[in-house]
Amino acid sequence: MIATIGFTLSHFQAMTLFALLISVAFGFLSRRRTSDRVKYIIWSLFLFLLIGVGIGWAMYPFSR
Amino acid sequence: MSEDTTTGTATATAGATVLAATTPEHNPGNEVLALAIGVAGWLVPGLGHALQKMWGRALGCFLTVGALVFLGVGMRGNVFSPEGGDAFGMLGYVADLGTGSFYFAARALETQGSDVAHAEGDYGTRFLAAAGVLNLLAALHAYEAARGRKA
Repeated sequence: MIATIGFTLSHFQAMTLFALLISVAFGFLSRRRTSDRVKYIIWSLFLFLLIGVGIGWAMYPFSR
Repeated sequence: MSEDTTTGTATATAGATVLAATTPEHNPGNEVLALAIGVAGWLVPGLGHALQKMWGRALGCFLTVGALVFLGVGMRGNVFSPEGGDAFGMLGYVADLGTGSFYFAARALETQGSDVAHAEGDYGTRFLAAAGVLNLLAALHAYEAARGRKA
Protein backbone atom coordinates (compact mmCIF):
# COMPACT_ATOMS: atom_id res chain seq x y z
CA MET A 1 0.00 0.00 0.00
CA ILE A 2 1.24 3.44 -0.90
CA ALA A 3 1.37 5.90 1.96
CA THR A 4 -0.45 9.16 1.40
CA ILE A 5 1.84 12.16 1.19
CA GLY A 6 0.69 15.67 1.90
CA PHE A 7 2.21 19.12 2.29
CA THR A 8 0.77 22.38 3.45
CA LEU A 9 2.96 25.24 2.33
CA SER A 10 2.42 28.98 2.37
CA HIS A 11 2.59 30.95 -0.88
CA PHE A 12 6.07 32.19 -0.06
CA GLN A 13 7.35 28.72 0.89
CA ALA A 14 5.97 27.24 -2.33
CA MET A 15 7.48 30.02 -4.42
CA THR A 16 10.86 29.71 -2.69
CA LEU A 17 10.96 25.92 -3.13
CA PHE A 18 9.98 26.24 -6.77
CA ALA A 19 12.59 28.94 -7.38
CA LEU A 20 15.29 26.92 -5.61
CA LEU A 21 14.62 23.70 -7.55
CA ILE A 22 14.43 25.42 -10.93
CA SER A 23 17.59 27.44 -10.18
CA VAL A 24 19.49 24.29 -9.21
CA ALA A 25 18.36 22.49 -12.38
CA PHE A 26 19.31 25.43 -14.60
CA GLY A 27 22.62 25.82 -12.81
CA PHE A 28 23.55 22.18 -13.33
CA LEU A 29 22.46 22.18 -16.97
CA SER A 30 24.01 25.42 -18.08
CA ARG A 31 27.32 25.57 -16.18
CA ARG A 32 30.19 23.11 -15.94
CA ARG A 33 32.38 24.23 -13.06
CA THR A 34 31.10 23.98 -9.50
CA SER A 35 31.92 27.60 -8.65
CA ASP A 36 30.09 28.81 -11.77
CA ARG A 37 27.11 26.65 -10.88
CA VAL A 38 26.94 28.02 -7.33
CA LYS A 39 27.14 31.61 -8.59
CA TYR A 40 24.46 30.94 -11.20
CA ILE A 41 22.14 29.24 -8.71
CA ILE A 42 22.42 32.05 -6.16
CA TRP A 43 21.91 34.75 -8.78
CA SER A 44 18.98 32.93 -10.41
CA LEU A 45 17.33 32.27 -7.03
CA PHE A 46 17.73 35.92 -6.05
CA LEU A 47 16.14 37.09 -9.32
CA PHE A 48 13.28 34.58 -9.02
CA LEU A 49 12.46 35.82 -5.52
CA LEU A 50 12.93 39.49 -6.37
CA ILE A 51 10.66 39.31 -9.41
CA GLY A 52 8.11 37.09 -7.61
CA VAL A 53 7.82 39.41 -4.62
CA GLY A 54 7.90 42.44 -6.95
CA ILE A 55 4.98 41.12 -9.00
CA GLY A 56 3.16 40.31 -5.76
CA TRP A 57 3.49 43.89 -4.57
CA ALA A 58 2.54 45.23 -8.01
CA MET A 59 -0.73 43.25 -7.85
CA TYR A 60 -1.47 44.23 -4.24
CA PRO A 61 -3.50 47.41 -5.05
CA PHE A 62 -5.87 45.33 -7.21
CA SER A 63 -6.38 42.58 -4.66
CA ARG A 64 -9.47 44.12 -3.01
CA MET B 1 44.29 38.45 -56.74
CA SER B 2 41.79 36.17 -58.37
CA GLU B 3 44.27 33.31 -58.03
CA ASP B 4 44.53 34.01 -54.31
CA THR B 5 40.76 33.99 -54.03
CA THR B 6 40.51 30.69 -55.91
CA THR B 7 43.20 29.11 -53.73
CA GLY B 8 41.48 30.41 -50.62
CA THR B 9 38.13 29.05 -51.72
CA ALA B 10 39.64 25.66 -52.53
CA THR B 11 41.31 25.52 -49.13
CA ALA B 12 38.08 26.51 -47.40
CA THR B 13 36.13 23.86 -49.33
CA ALA B 14 38.68 21.18 -48.48
CA GLY B 15 38.61 22.27 -44.84
CA ALA B 16 34.82 22.11 -44.78
CA THR B 17 34.89 18.63 -46.30
CA VAL B 18 37.36 17.39 -43.68
CA LEU B 19 35.28 19.02 -40.91
CA ALA B 20 32.06 17.48 -42.24
CA ALA B 21 33.68 14.07 -42.34
CA THR B 22 34.95 14.29 -38.77
CA THR B 23 32.10 16.14 -37.03
CA PRO B 24 29.98 13.71 -34.95
CA GLU B 25 26.61 15.03 -36.19
CA HIS B 26 27.30 13.81 -39.72
CA ASN B 27 27.65 10.20 -38.59
CA PRO B 28 24.25 8.46 -38.87
CA GLY B 29 25.23 5.97 -36.14
CA ASN B 30 25.93 8.80 -33.73
CA GLU B 31 22.63 10.42 -34.64
CA VAL B 32 20.69 7.27 -33.70
CA LEU B 33 22.68 6.95 -30.49
CA ALA B 34 22.02 10.59 -29.66
CA LEU B 35 18.30 10.06 -30.23
CA ALA B 36 18.33 6.99 -27.98
CA ILE B 37 20.11 9.01 -25.29
CA GLY B 38 17.50 11.76 -25.61
CA VAL B 39 14.65 9.27 -25.24
CA ALA B 40 16.38 7.62 -22.27
CA GLY B 41 16.74 11.05 -20.66
CA TRP B 42 13.04 11.65 -21.13
CA LEU B 43 11.98 8.25 -19.75
CA VAL B 44 14.16 8.44 -16.64
CA PRO B 45 15.21 11.97 -15.65
CA GLY B 46 19.01 12.23 -15.69
CA LEU B 47 19.62 8.95 -17.50
CA GLY B 48 20.57 10.72 -20.74
CA HIS B 49 23.39 12.52 -18.94
CA ALA B 50 24.36 9.46 -16.88
CA LEU B 51 24.89 7.47 -20.08
CA GLN B 52 27.40 10.13 -21.13
CA LYS B 53 29.09 10.04 -17.72
CA MET B 54 27.90 13.54 -16.85
CA TRP B 55 27.22 12.48 -13.28
CA GLY B 56 26.60 15.92 -11.75
CA ARG B 57 24.04 16.86 -14.34
CA ALA B 58 22.42 13.43 -14.15
CA LEU B 59 22.04 13.67 -10.39
CA GLY B 60 20.89 17.29 -10.58
CA CYS B 61 18.18 16.45 -13.14
CA PHE B 62 17.01 13.37 -11.29
CA LEU B 63 16.78 15.08 -7.93
CA THR B 64 15.18 18.34 -9.07
CA VAL B 65 12.60 16.69 -11.35
CA GLY B 66 11.92 14.07 -8.68
CA ALA B 67 11.51 16.70 -5.97
CA LEU B 68 9.16 18.78 -8.13
CA VAL B 69 6.99 15.73 -8.85
CA PHE B 70 7.02 14.62 -5.21
CA LEU B 71 6.07 18.10 -3.96
CA GLY B 72 3.47 18.52 -6.71
CA VAL B 73 1.77 15.27 -5.74
CA GLY B 74 2.09 16.07 -2.04
CA MET B 75 0.35 19.40 -2.62
CA ARG B 76 -2.39 17.50 -4.45
CA GLY B 77 -1.76 19.06 -7.82
CA ASN B 78 -3.66 17.95 -10.90
CA VAL B 79 -1.98 15.05 -12.72
CA PHE B 80 -3.63 15.40 -16.13
CA SER B 81 -4.87 12.35 -18.00
CA PRO B 82 -5.28 11.97 -21.80
CA GLU B 83 -9.05 12.20 -21.32
CA GLY B 84 -8.76 15.85 -20.32
CA GLY B 85 -11.19 17.02 -22.96
CA ASP B 86 -10.23 20.63 -23.59
CA ALA B 87 -7.04 22.09 -25.07
CA PHE B 88 -5.65 23.18 -21.69
CA GLY B 89 -6.13 19.69 -20.30
CA MET B 90 -4.27 18.29 -23.27
CA LEU B 91 -1.43 20.79 -22.83
CA GLY B 92 -1.27 19.89 -19.14
CA TYR B 93 -1.12 16.22 -20.06
CA VAL B 94 1.76 16.81 -22.49
CA ALA B 95 3.61 18.83 -19.85
CA ASP B 96 3.04 16.18 -17.17
CA LEU B 97 4.07 13.40 -19.55
CA GLY B 98 7.38 15.21 -19.95
CA THR B 99 8.48 13.66 -16.66
CA GLY B 100 8.55 10.24 -18.38
CA SER B 101 8.28 7.38 -15.94
CA PHE B 102 7.71 9.81 -13.06
CA TYR B 103 4.30 10.59 -14.57
CA PHE B 104 3.12 7.08 -13.72
CA ALA B 105 4.70 7.33 -10.27
CA ALA B 106 2.78 10.59 -9.74
CA ARG B 107 -0.48 8.94 -10.76
CA ALA B 108 0.19 6.03 -8.44
CA LEU B 109 1.15 8.28 -5.52
CA GLU B 110 -1.81 10.63 -5.80
CA THR B 111 -4.31 8.26 -4.26
CA GLN B 112 -6.69 10.97 -3.03
CA GLY B 113 -6.95 12.80 -6.34
CA SER B 114 -6.21 16.45 -6.97
CA ASP B 115 -7.53 19.37 -4.95
CA VAL B 116 -7.16 22.53 -7.00
CA ALA B 117 -9.82 24.35 -4.98
CA HIS B 118 -7.02 25.34 -2.60
CA ALA B 119 -3.85 27.27 -3.36
CA GLU B 120 -1.63 24.25 -2.54
CA GLY B 121 -3.30 22.16 -5.22
CA ASP B 122 -2.90 24.94 -7.76
CA TYR B 123 0.78 25.27 -6.88
CA GLY B 124 1.12 21.48 -7.10
CA THR B 125 -0.27 21.52 -10.64
CA ARG B 126 2.40 24.06 -11.62
CA PHE B 127 5.12 22.02 -9.90
CA LEU B 128 4.15 18.94 -11.90
CA ALA B 129 4.00 20.81 -15.20
CA ALA B 130 7.33 22.53 -14.50
CA ALA B 131 8.91 19.15 -13.72
CA GLY B 132 7.79 17.83 -17.10
CA VAL B 133 9.00 20.81 -19.08
CA LEU B 134 12.28 20.83 -17.16
CA ASN B 135 12.84 17.17 -17.92
CA LEU B 136 12.14 17.73 -21.61
CA LEU B 137 14.72 20.51 -21.56
CA ALA B 138 17.24 18.19 -19.86
CA ALA B 139 16.54 15.41 -22.38
CA LEU B 140 17.08 17.88 -25.23
CA HIS B 141 20.34 18.98 -23.59
CA ALA B 142 21.49 15.36 -23.33
CA TYR B 143 20.58 14.79 -26.98
CA GLU B 144 22.51 17.85 -28.10
CA ALA B 145 25.49 16.86 -25.95
CA ALA B 146 25.46 13.39 -27.53
CA ARG B 147 25.54 15.03 -30.95
CA GLY B 148 28.59 16.99 -29.85
CA ARG B 149 26.90 20.37 -30.02
CA LYS B 150 27.12 21.32 -26.36
CA ALA B 151 28.46 19.89 -23.14
